[in-house]
Amino acid sequence: MSGALLLNAEWELTRLRRSRRLWLLVLPIVAAPIGSAVADLYLRIPSLETARVLGLFITAGLAGLLALDLVALAVGEDLSLGAHLTAFTLPQGRRAQLAGRTTLVMAGVLGSYGVGAVLVWTLSGLLVTPSTGAAAPIVLPLHLALGLPGLLLFLGGVTAAGAVVTRSAAQSLVAGVLAGVVAAGVGSWFLLERSLTALFPVGLAAVGLVGFAWSLYRFPSLEA
Amino acid sequence: MSTAAVELEHVSKSYGERPALREVSFRLRPGEAVGYLGPNGAGKTTTLKLLAGLTLPDSGTVRLLGRAPDPASGSGLERVGVLVGTPGLVPYLTGRDLLDYASRAKGLARSTEQSTVEVAAMQTGFARHLDRPVGSLSTGLARRLLLAVALLGDPELLLLDEPTLGLDPAARADLRALLRGLRREGRTLLLSTHLLEDVEEVCDRVLFLRGGQLVGDEPVDRAPRDAKGTRLRSLRLRFRSPVSVSRLVEALPPTARVVADSETELTVSFEGEDAEQATLLAQVVGQRLPLLSASAVEGDLARRYLATVGREDEA
Repeated sequence: MSGALLLNAEWELTRLRRSRRLWLLVLPIVAAPIGSAVADLYLRIPSLETARVLGLFITAGLAGLLALDLVALAVGEDLSLGAHLTAFTLPQGRRAQLAGRTTLVMAGVLGSYGVGAVLVWTLSGLLVTPSTGAAAPIVLPLHLALGLPGLLLFLGGVTAAGAVVTRSAAQSLVAGVLAGVVAAGVGSWFLLERSLTALFPVGLAAVGLVGFAWSLYRFPSLEA
Repeated sequence: MSTAAVELEHVSKSYGERPALREVSFRLRPGEAVGYLGPNGAGKTTTLKLLAGLTLPDSGTVRLLGRAPDPASGSGLERVGVLVGTPGLVPYLTGRDLLDYASRAKGLARSTEQSTVEVAAMQTGFARHLDRPVGSLSTGLARRLLLAVALLGDPELLLLDEPTLGLDPAARADLRALLRGLRREGRTLLLSTHLLEDVEEVCDRVLFLRGGQLVGDEPVDRAPRDAKGTRLRSLRLRFRSPVSVSRLVEALPPTARVVADSETELTVSFEGEDAEQATLLAQVVGQRLPLLSASAVEGDLARRYLATVGREDEA
């Protein structure tokens, strides 16, 4: 099982490298700190906390797009092309095939978000001079930083499940985008109602993990 | 304890309301090469998908090399090479990427992986294209790559569905020679195809399928062979005006034999494959003989296929 998991993680890395999608993982690390720094300087954000919140949203937004795209292709590309007709006839567990590929992709997305978030956090500290009397941020930056991976897991899990159901990378991407819109809407509503707690990102992460688990459960019984 | 290389017992499969296979049972002995023939939609590909674990039977049992294949774990496919349907290829990957991945999935050691990949690619005539993105390959080259994947790891049993699809005549002849070689080495082959010539060349036995039911199971009645075992083929030549047999004989290779059916129609038997046939025709034309038409004389298998299965497609 672990051998097949590792083989398929390597296989996904080869696919990312050959398709040059690997470079997309650099976006949250490079573009997010730059975008956040420009915003810090141009908008003259008076509060360090607000600057960090803004930067974290930019980072997670980019990482969220990557989660949608990379998971949709990792799960749905073979199914839509019919390439699984070859992979399924090899003597290896199908769960390990899917788990290896999605684990690599999600590790890349979360890792990229993590590095981007640390850079944004650090840059904001250097670029923003806190002023007394500035408005409090809408959420505490540390809470946001820890909660946003829940959103990324949610997007990945819903997209993976969508790809298994639709057998299409494009349609699973649409499912993931719609799920992201719903999550943003619900999160905003909790925020306005001042009832946003740690339960929300934990709930998102749980839904995402259920999505991945369901995909792993269903994938071996897909018929060609 | 089952000793059959392939065993289907009372297997039925439906897609919705439409039955694809009905109570199909057959066995392949180890080392046997069996052709699987039937019209479009008869259930040939469904049978091979069932054997490869790509789909599950509604009822009945399937065993490969004595074990039931388990689609979830992939067990039961360790010594089986499979090419079923028309698998897609991810366009930005190279053939070597796919073969490397497949060879490791088949448990080949990294030290032998490269040589195994090269050997499989050479066997199917794909070696020169290993580092090309598969999106740039022609249909025939893509088929050769998929065949190379099936041949990786020296499988005991090969399940091949239309292996010569999209191949040019020379590549088809090479593949048939390869399959004959594998059969001689004792590999078991199940060959699903529409090309009766492939079955005649390669197989010992033929199964006829029609409407999801097995309607025939008999030995391949081989075309005559010479002392070296080379198959003799026949061409019926029709001429616009009477020709002398001796003048025709001058135009042909020494191994060809001419039988006069009438003054304007002659049958030529010769050794060889499509390439030799093309050369022979070129020589006839080169002699300025008034050739009107040339047609292959169908082997016995074609007659039996039509008698057993009929002409209608069922797709």
